[in-house]
Amino acid sequence: MRPIGFSTGAIAYADFNRALELLRGEAVTCVELSALRFREAQPLLKSIRDLDLSRYSYVSFHAPSSFDSEQERALVNELREYLPPAWPVILHPDTIHDPSLWRPFRSQVAIENMDQRKLGGRTVEELSAVFERLPDASFCFDVGHARQCDTSMTEAYRMLKAFQRRLIQVHVSEVNSSSQHDPVSYAAQISFREVSGLIPTIVPLIVESRVDSTEIGREIRRVYEALPEPVAARASALPHACQPSA
Amino acid sequence: MEQLDIGYATPVVKSPVEILAAKVGQNWSHLAAAQERAIKERQRLRSALEDLDGADSSIVVFGSLGRDEFTPGSDVDWTLLVDGIADPAHFDTALEIRRRLKDLGHAPPGREGVFGNLAFSHNLIHQIGGEDDSNSNTTRRILLLVESQVIGRRDAHKRTLHNILHRYLSEDRGLWYGSGDFRVPRFLLNDIVRYWRAMAVDFAYKQRTRGNEGFALRNIKLRISRKLIFISGMLACFSCHLGLTPGEKNLFYGTKAVQPLVDHLQKTLGQPPLQLIARALLNYEELWQPASVLFGAYDRFIEILADESLLPNGKTPRKHLDELSFEELDGDSVFQEARELSHRFRDAVHDIFLKSETDLSRLTIEYGVF
Repeated sequence: MRPIGFSTGAIAYADFNRALELLRGEAVTCVELSALRFREAQPLLKSIRDLDLSRYSYVSFHAPSSFDSEQERALVNELREYLPPAWPVILHPDTIHDPSLWRPFRSQVAIENMDQRKLGGRTVEELSAVFERLPDASFCFDVGHARQCDTSMTEAYRMLKAFQRRLIQVHVSEVNSSSQHDPVSYAAQISFREVSGLIPTIVPLIVESRVDSTEIGREIRRVYEALPEPVAARASALPHACQPSA
Repeated sequence: MEQLDIGYATPVVKSPVEILAAKVGQNWSHLAAAQERAIKERQRLRSALEDLDGADSSIVVFGSLGRDEFTPGSDVDWTLLVDGIADPAHFDTALEIRRRLKDLGHAPPGREGVFGNLAFSHNLIHQIGGEDDSNSNTTRRILLLVESQVIGRRDAHKRTLHNILHRYLSEDRGLWYGSGDFRVPRFLLNDIVRYWRAMAVDFAYKQRTRGNEGFALRNIKLRISRKLIFISGMLACFSCHLGLTPGEKNLFYGTKAVQPLVDHLQKTLGQPPLQLIARALLNYEELWQPASVLFGAYDRFIEILADESLLPNGKTPRKHLDELSFEELDGDSVFQEARELSHRFRDAVHDIFLKSETDLSRLTIEYGVF
């Protein structure tokens, strides 16, 4: 089974404590602590030492989706002070003002591909420009964003092929035409399966679908159906092979 | 503070046509000039139309402007391609594009209504074949594949193109399970062949409905530039076999991996037809002589269309051909020269695709003819 977990922001808006409480009874081994608004970042980072996250084998931190250059410096300092070095920092490329502040994080920083509202970070070419400035950075593949930008999943295939070495985490949800993260539909499942074979089985899936607490288990099942484990022989022999669709 | 550039740049490299010209000791200056005009015109349109597209819609140009063959008398064939939620404002946007193009001096596109308005990705993707795949829909779809260029945001165009290609490839059972020596996407190729034959049939239709008006120019275009579109589409299909390494073929076809082939075809078809053809022919030194004839004839064809000097009747050669009556054809020197060019072009095409002892010839006979 692929390691799977939720983004705290998806199940409890701006309330990571509540989200962790809701996840307590669920079959998840991963979690992403989300601070999408800048004001949420400092309280979350300061409380990390008091959180019981021992049940999770993988924890990541999602940096705010918008901040100015002064806030960027403050955020970097707080990350250095409070965040365990083994936890990836998921970062939107358009938030970066000064790449030199992020470069020392090396592979701890994971650049996420963007949705179609953004004018960068959506394609291999646009992401390559970011990785040129952050050569050691990891890659957080958002399969919902990729599908929103290209429903054929060809750009998703290209991203996974180009940045497979960097891939550290996958965001999963259906991103609708308003760029909101919805539960994964039947149509999205079909699309996601197109590239499922390019996602190594050890890479954690972080679900971003906005669901209430009663829907968590069902959404996990939907995600597993959308991203089944590749056939073992094919995965090892043909790392760049795609899932057959015919 | 270090700045982050999250856009992307296109590297400047020598084009396949330029490389082929150098190989055969030719200088096809009129092709180069037409390409430069096309690039400049697209830049001019980009400035004029920059606020009229978005993530859900792309302004797409076709015809000579899309093929990098723009000449002073060329029309601008365009469409606002919508791939997103329905919005009545798309129609207003199309009207505004029409108005701004008129301000730039461009007349509305041809009379058939294929261009100069809205096109929707749903029809292009879902209606392949069957009664609802109208002549206009087929035309838009095939030209989107073989000769389209985007003015501004390309999101909608890229999504639509990928989805169309995905349908042609993923639903082509013979491509993935066939036992033949070659891997050619017949579903796609058959639609390209169908479009080429439809153009030829529509030529006769227009001859009748327009009372032979515009016959000469349409005839020469059919024999040369329309045929070129067919050849480039056919070569793109052949590239699914000839343009892949043995390792890629094993990987793509062995694992039935559609996405890498969509990616390959999208890149191949992303080249203007002349470049695509030159790139393919560069691989066959034994075909460089007829290739030189083919490109030489095309260069002269473009020169005639671009010629702004006036004939004794006060018309440019292009306007002269456009207005030439049916009865004047046999005695007209401009038409006769253009006709002779079309014969040189045809003979070179035959030498390359039907008479040569190459894979191109074998594939053409096996897939392009029968």
